[in-house]
Amino acid sequence: MSTIFNPEKLANEYENESPEKIIKLALENFNNIAISFSGAEDVVLIDIAKKIQSDVKVFSLDTGRLHAETYRFIEQVREHYKIEIDVLSPDTKSLQEFVYKKGLYSFYKDGHKECCGIRKVVPLRRKLSTLNAWITGQRKDQSPGTRITVPVVENDGAFSTPENKLMKFNPLSNWSSTQVWEYIRSNDVPFNNLHEQGFISIGCEPCTRPVLPNQHEREGRWWWEDATQKECGLHAGNLKK
Amino acid sequence: MHITFVKKIKTDGTPCRKCAEVQARLEKDNYIRKIDEIVIADENNKNSKGMRLAKEYGIEQAPFFIVDDEKKGIAIYTVYFKFISEIFNEKINEKEIAKEILDADHNLDYI
Repeated sequence: MSTIFNPEKLANEYENESPEKIIKLALENFNNIAISFSGAEDVVLIDIAKKIQSDVKVFSLDTGRLHAETYRFIEQVREHYKIEIDVLSPDTKSLQEFVYKKGLYSFYKDGHKECCGIRKVVPLRRKLSTLNAWITGQRKDQSPGTRITVPVVENDGAFSTPENKLMKFNPLSNWSSTQVWEYIRSNDVPFNNLHEQGFISIGCEPCTRPVLPNQHEREGRWWWEDATQKECGLHAGNLKK
Repeated sequence: MHITFVKKIKTDGTPCRKCAEVQARLEKDNYIRKIDEIVIADENNKNSKGMRLAKEYGIEQAPFFIVDDEKKGIAIYTVYFKFISEIFNEKINEKEIAKEILDADHNLDYI
């Protein structure tokens, strides 16, 4: 890792830079870095990174509940780019206890977070504890109604530990879904077949559905839950005029 | 070490849901006595100390903790269980930390 890496300063400097430049910045400064690939349109991260560096590291979170199309797509990406993909599984004991206690569809009753916590966040946390930096496909336009920022580079406060300060790169932060798809089409990037069936956002099979034209992708996720629990946001924009 | 707990008060004068939950946990777990300062981020006043601290440290969500350690410097925690695990060496179930991490960052839903 570079001895001088100031994420706040670089986030400002690179705010309007292209994803290519942001990924280059990431790969040049960190050796122990990996791309998080969800099996959806974040495949563009791999496409861009491979053009910069041949030996990129990629991992995916296999929740056990992904669509068959997503599993096939992960395999397609592995072969297309000739890369290894570290496919992470949930902890067996925790998952078995959870399913035994609450069944396979508890998220429809009490929300998705407990299930996502076990199937995604715990394995993610374990993986990130082995890295110095990671690259995600998070974009500002994925969360409507919130003013949560997605810096192009940041200290990852959620996953850093006292022993391991983790850096997080979000090169697609300022891209819209349209820009992502323009890139996919113009660069002949492989994509998940579910997109042809009206899926914009692709997560686990029970928690993802296709959306109608002009519906936001968030409406294709956890549609049974209250759409907004944003009351804890800290923004001057929340102030009364 | 100096620990600051920043909680948000909404425009109607009530604490945000998560802030109330975290304060209740602090009291239940008896860690409230280890908090040196409780600061309000008042949604009606962008110059309130809590709002200024949020801006200074680039924090988007309440509540959060600022831990100023003479040797290690300043650390910010937005996840309660991570805070008590790392600062007070409390043994925490990994599932609880994971759930709270998701609560604190809605964008993680897309990972």
